[in-house]
Amino acid sequence: MNFRFLAIALTISWLAIFVFLPHLLLVNTSLLTPHLEHLAVWPATLDNFQKVFTPLYLSVFLHSLELSAIATIICLLIAYPFAWIVSAHTSSVRAWLLFLLVLPFWTNSLIRTYAIKILLGKNGVVNTIMTGLGLWQEPMQLLYTEFAVIFGLVYLLLPFMVLPIYSSFDKLDPTLLEAGRDLGAHTLQRFARIILPLTMPGIIAGFLIVFLPAMGMFYIADLLGGAKNLLLGNIIKNLFLVARDWPLGSAFSVIMMSIMALMLLVYARVNHYVQRRGGLDDQNL
Amino acid sequence: MNKTLLMTLLLLITGAVQAEEKVVVYNWSEYVDDSVLEDFTKETGIKIEYSTFDSNEVMYSKLKLQRGKGYDIVVPSTYYISKMAKEGLLQKLDKSQLKNIRNLNPDLLNKDYDPGNVYSLPYLWGSTGLCYNADEVEPASVTAWKDLWDPKWKGKLLFTDDVREVFHMALRINGHSGNSEDPAHITQAYELLKKVIPNVLVFNSEAPREPYLSGDVVVGMNWNGEAVSAAQENPAIQYVYPKEGAVFWVDSFAIPVGAENVKNAHAFIDYMLRAEVAKLNTEYVGYATPNQAALPLLEQSTRENPVIFPPEKIIANGEFHRDIGNDALQLMHDYWQKLKAGQ
Repeated sequence: MNFRFLAIALTISWLAIFVFLPHLLLVNTSLLTPHLEHLAVWPATLDNFQKVFTPLYLSVFLHSLELSAIATIICLLIAYPFAWIVSAHTSSVRAWLLFLLVLPFWTNSLIRTYAIKILLGKNGVVNTIMTGLGLWQEPMQLLYTEFAVIFGLVYLLLPFMVLPIYSSFDKLDPTLLEAGRDLGAHTLQRFARIILPLTMPGIIAGFLIVFLPAMGMFYIADLLGGAKNLLLGNIIKNLFLVARDWPLGSAFSVIMMSIMALMLLVYARVNHYVQRRGGLDDQNL
Repeated sequence: MNKTLLMTLLLLITGAVQAEEKVVVYNWSEYVDDSVLEDFTKETGIKIEYSTFDSNEVMYSKLKLQRGKGYDIVVPSTYYISKMAKEGLLQKLDKSQLKNIRNLNPDLLNKDYDPGNVYSLPYLWGSTGLCYNADEVEPASVTAWKDLWDPKWKGKLLFTDDVREVFHMALRINGHSGNSEDPAHITQAYELLKKVIPNVLVFNSEAPREPYLSGDVVVGMNWNGEAVSAAQENPAIQYVYPKEGAVFWVDSFAIPVGAENVKNAHAFIDYMLRAEVAKLNTEYVGYATPNQAALPLLEQSTRENPVIFPPEKIIANGEFHRDIGNDALQLMHDYWQKLKAGQ
């Protein structure tokens, strides 16, 4: 029994006990019948999944997807140029910039969310400055709106978008760009045909890491959105804790996992595509 | 063999923790004077592990899931006592360890949710009513629940994040009891609530005074104690008992069936029932104490504050929540999800 075997066995049993089994339980619960006192009881049924697609839950679900998608796209639009700029610096500057990016994580995200409340409130910093400068006639309602939820999500999740994109840029071979220039490709062409495809795995990885938490961060919607059912995470939390409909809550979680699986599939495909087109293997990306 | 190893490890860990006397308290958020907790530990040497909830439903779900284990003290509201006792989640109190029971007001003992106070003893009582900021709102425009339906409050109101309290308003406006189990009444209440949802900016049961204090909300629902605390910071924040009748509740100490430190739990309850301690808590959180021995100790401004201790007539006009049964509750929850989704 060598070290390698031990490490692998440990990892696999850890994953089996703390990841695979709970998920199995979740899938199982999603197929049971809800019961207010006993939470979930037999017989098995597919009703819960059917209920997800009733107009009520479907519209909440789609709205949640929309909010999370907007937050993710904003993250992407900020993170992409940022990662690019960071990767263009010398390695010591890069280390500093990345350090600054990760620094806020030393403070608990809940505390930072409360700080956002102070910033966005009616008498908060933003409103005070804007009305003080005469730019706004009267304070705007920023807190407890969808804007506040998206703002909070972007703020908390931005680093998760930057890091994978940065690593794609970091691995981008500059000689490919030189070759492109030598062969007569202008700036836009070099971007569209070399840079973008080669950083696509970073973009997709960032998308995956940001989009899913963006659907689940119920406390952001509770604190900044006024506890209305805005995100999928709020619905699941309410179903589990308040309404005690565990099977339906589990059904939502299973659907969320399926979305994740689907996106991983897309990620694998894109990697494969880049590998074929760029003549590079996955590890070089 | 692995199992034995695991058990040994667990025993080692819990053994290390248990060397110290403790009591695990699960209370409503912002519902105690923190100095009381420190004094308790100082006096008895019993360490307090304190955690909080912001709705009965969440507290109940956790206890239900853990089959009454994990906490030594819980503080359910009114009808949750009977519900949890019926489901075997609570254990009987040992009155011989609770000599300070004699401090309590007999009017608040032996209620229908716990006859003979077998499972619970009252901690604080209060109400859910209307609240507004007098600097921004004309007091005459907020006297009844119905006033919250005025379209001029679009996107401005605070509601408590509590399904029963929100439905209570609509049931009372429609002339029914807030404890109605009739599906037709509940559906009718939902139809009415649908119209007020565009007015709601925020649901908050964690600290409803905060949005009033920060200026984000100028009118809506509130608990009387939260309004009293808010008024200490900003006197413009006023509490009103609505014409249709407020929701009244009593939050009581109870010991879950799986509590591990039962003796310490009794010591904690008995400590909280002391007159001086009850005085500190009431003055700090702004809710009424059922502790009649504490009343003479209270500052006059607290004792004579009609928001904290409302006159008999207002109490008679209000209602205490009762258990409405699983079917009615389920129906309310379905509608609640819809309302919160803006449907």
